[in-house]
Amino acid sequence: MSAAGRTGAPVPLAIWVLLLLAPFWLGPVGGYTALGTRVLVLGLAAMSLNLLLGFTGVLSFGHAAWFGLGAYGAGLALKFVALSTPLALLLGTLTGGLAGALLGALIVHRRGIYFAMVTIAFGQVFYYIAYRWNSLTGGDDGLRGFARQDITLGPWHLDIAGNGTAFYYFVLTCFAVAVGLMALLLRSPFGRTLLAIRENERRARFLGIPVELHIWIAFALSCVFISFAGALYALLNNFADPNNLHYSLSGDLVIMAVLGGMRSFWGPLLGAAVFVVLQDYVSSLTTNWMSFVGLLFVLVVLFFPRGLLGILRRQGTA
Amino acid sequence: MITPDTAGRIGRRSILATAAAAAVAPLGSPFIIAARGETPLRIGMVDPLTGVYAAPARNEVMGAQLAVARINAAGGLLGRQVELLVEDSANDVGTGVQKARKLIERDHVDFMIGDVNSAVAQAIAQVTAENKVLHVVSGGHTDTITGKDCHWNVYRVCNTTRMEANAVSEVLFRKYGRKWHFITPDYAFGHTLQTAIEANLKRLGGIETGAELTPLGTSDFSPYLIKARAANPNVLILLVQGQDMVNCLKQIVQFGINRQIPVAGTQQELESLEGLPPDARIGTWMFEWYWNQPGVPHLPEFVADIRRVNGGKVPTARHWFGYTSVMTFALVAAQEKTTDAVKLAHALGGFELPPEVKLQPNRVTYRAGDHQLMLSAFIGSAQAHGGADPEDLFKMDQVVAGDSVAPPVADTGCTLTWPT
Repeated sequence: MSAAGRTGAPVPLAIWVLLLLAPFWLGPVGGYTALGTRVLVLGLAAMSLNLLLGFTGVLSFGHAAWFGLGAYGAGLALKFVALSTPLALLLGTLTGGLAGALLGALIVHRRGIYFAMVTIAFGQVFYYIAYRWNSLTGGDDGLRGFARQDITLGPWHLDIAGNGTAFYYFVLTCFAVAVGLMALLLRSPFGRTLLAIRENERRARFLGIPVELHIWIAFALSCVFISFAGALYALLNNFADPNNLHYSLSGDLVIMAVLGGMRSFWGPLLGAAVFVVLQDYVSSLTTNWMSFVGLLFVLVVLFFPRGLLGILRRQGTA
Repeated sequence: MITPDTAGRIGRRSILATAAAAAVAPLGSPFIIAARGETPLRIGMVDPLTGVYAAPARNEVMGAQLAVARINAAGGLLGRQVELLVEDSANDVGTGVQKARKLIERDHVDFMIGDVNSAVAQAIAQVTAENKVLHVVSGGHTDTITGKDCHWNVYRVCNTTRMEANAVSEVLFRKYGRKWHFITPDYAFGHTLQTAIEANLKRLGGIETGAELTPLGTSDFSPYLIKARAANPNVLILLVQGQDMVNCLKQIVQFGINRQIPVAGTQQELESLEGLPPDARIGTWMFEWYWNQPGVPHLPEFVADIRRVNGGKVPTARHWFGYTSVMTFALVAAQEKTTDAVKLAHALGGFELPPEVKLQPNRVTYRAGDHQLMLSAFIGSAQAHGGADPEDLFKMDQVVAGDSVAPPVADTGCTLTWPT
């Protein structure tokens, strides 16, 4: 019944083909490569959030905090530690992942609305730290003065700093690794246990499952993945700013996950794609673009609780 | 948590799906734009059309559109029509950067303008520098844009916070005395502005009785105002902007503080004064540009043209920023007969704006060392009612030339690195 298990071959195959060929078809349909990169990064972030939301059944409304910490971690690493893209990714992921794991231990004892509120509160703590600590983070002006670096492995040189297409494939590789790990995780006994907790926490507890520990591990892993996405986001923009930590971004990520379908593995990616593309195109036409996203969100939540991917699946099986 | 699937509702669902499809259908239209011919010269503009800076951003766009209309009416630029492509940065760095990339990669713009938000402006500057596109920052005031984060391809029209501080400090010191108290917005812009004024105050021999740091979006200023009144300064310096400025001034008048302590500050905008009740239009301020300057050539035509598209309202400094940004490209490209970014960026160093663009008395040039426009500061006081015109809410006392208030290039921290 798990979405990861239910994912038949056609959908993921189609997704991978589309992603692999994106730089070739995006141009002719009016897009551009950087748009694809943004979809991948925000898609990964929404999928990380969905590890909790869709597969563990707890709603974190402050996940932007870990996303932003990843971005700042990567930016600060490039600026102050060493000019190395892999190191920046590693340090960014560790910053958000560790902070998430530590604070997660405090958060996981709450449920429902309290869980959501505590996550918002911690998220805003980090937002205001970034906003106020001018000397380190640049405050409201954002962290700048760093740029992603080319990657050289022996004779093999990858020009990700100047070549948008090369950077897209670099991000796609990172995305594939992260998503692969996520899928493995969900197929493991640990992942099945998370589903059990989602479906009926009390019954899981009676079965002797240490529920808090499982939620905490899921929370920490989700933070690690989303920080990784945040670090990629900092590399994409060559910039990190406090809005990366703000709860409005957390809200956007929840919208992406629900819009695409939070019970399916690929749903959040689809949601992110719709969200980013809508934002990109409609905001060029009208300043009221958020109304369109809002309208779509309301329609989906009211009538298609399984999300856009849920609609597609239904029509596929009908 | 989710509703179970229900059978037998295909009819309603199909209707909904059709409705959703109809709602999404208009999104298809931009795809056609990609197939347009590429004859016109394109100027990209990224500004926060939604969010807290929406009003100034829209005015900047309006000014830019007027410039484009005038250029096209006069036969275009380098024999080509000019097209302005406006994108909303939504006051968010990630979105702003994305829009800049879109304009450069997909629409192949020749020039870039933006943004009102300093953070977004700096982030876009990195993108334009990377892609070698000439860029004019229309409305972001943070020092570093033409300071330690300056770029060879980036010029700025509006003032730096340092210039604003320098323009008013001496005037306020002479007018009000030596004990100052600050109401400062609690973020990077406010802090830099306050530091700059504090340095001037110290140099002049004044003292600071305190500073109230107010969060952005504060609606109740009473605790700060009570503290400020208790400190008994000679003058209350307001550094808040936009809606915060409106709320703060309203409450100052409500509490009668202005009858005991005079109010003053640096940058004031017509948008804010218009949002205030007449009795709260008080204080000594600096305008970055003002529409009513008797005897300045070409100004009446500009005011009339903006009034025509602005619902009868006069232009603000933001209209002039947008207008000047576009005109900068047009003038320098026409002079050099090229759109090559490196050549034009070199040519803009020391470039002087002609009277029909500068619309102010003093000489206005782009400084070669840090690419900052040396625009004048308009110092005066707010007035409750306009005289001949209801929108004449500012009484100018003096116009200070920009190069007399700008810190020397060596102090800005800017080192320009040109592409080889």
